[in-house]
Amino acid sequence: MPFEALDPLLHSQLRLAVMSLLISVESADFVYIKEQTGATAGNLSVQIDKLSSAGYISVEKKFEGKKPKTTCKITQTGVDAFENYVKNIQQYLKP
Amino acid sequence: MEDKELSPQESLDLIQQMIGKARKRYTDNSFYFLLWGWITIVASVFHYVAASYTSFEYPYAGWSLTVVGAIVSMVKGSKDGRTAKVHNYTDKMYAWLWASLGIGMFTIIFNGQLLGWSVVPFILLFAGIGTSVSGAMMNFLPLRIGAVIFWLLALAAFRVDPNQQMLLMASGVAFGYLIPGYIMKSNAKKNAI
Repeated sequence: MPFEALDPLLHSQLRLAVMSLLISVESADFVYIKEQTGATAGNLSVQIDKLSSAGYISVEKKFEGKKPKTTCKITQTGVDAFENYVKNIQQYLKP
Repeated sequence: MEDKELSPQESLDLIQQMIGKARKRYTDNSFYFLLWGWITIVASVFHYVAASYTSFEYPYAGWSLTVVGAIVSMVKGSKDGRTAKVHNYTDKMYAWLWASLGIGMFTIIFNGQLLGWSVVPFILLFAGIGTSVSGAMMNFLPLRIGAVIFWLLALAAFRVDPNQQMLLMASGVAFGYLIPGYIMKSNAKKNAI
């Protein structure tokens, strides 16, 4: 059986880390994701935009007092893509 | 962390690592247990003493503290929710569990007259459900022990008059809310170090 190609959007270190975090929680703040992944704000912002454009996550931007607050949440499309990705890497790891 | 490509094994390791980070390690909900524990003890002991040893007309007056408790809980819950950097499903379930039980308890007390004011056994049963499920969600044994004490006291409360039920209520919250609440608070402090 030929191996399924891995989703290029998820097969990257930072984007996969973001998705793995978001799959475990209801929603997470940009600052929390930055702390947990250890990424720079600029790079994280770019990767979050890519995931959001693909419909894998939803991003809500609002102000808390004077501070901007960005909240990310995984979508059903994101959950399906993540599950599919895990299934596919398991194929590669089978002896 | 960079934007590099991964091998399948590296991918699995990363997923495992991030899910592990997102898993909540310790929840400190001691504030609510201590708040409601003290409110209930003060109100029930006051009720028992006033009804048994004084001619005070309104022994149930202390229960008005529960309105303060409800407002404080709602304000703190909403503020914590707004400022939290991450929202877990466990916290959401926990909030819904206690809000649902609170509505149940309020309904019983509101209709207390229909039950001859023998409401404590039902409140103890409800409190037992809350502590047992919270104990299971937080994997915290003192709450589960507290739940068993609540249920045993509920059995006893069905067999005594409403005034004596107040003492069982006070004992229940001492073992079911306060002791677990203080242990939780001390554990949270240790975890913060």
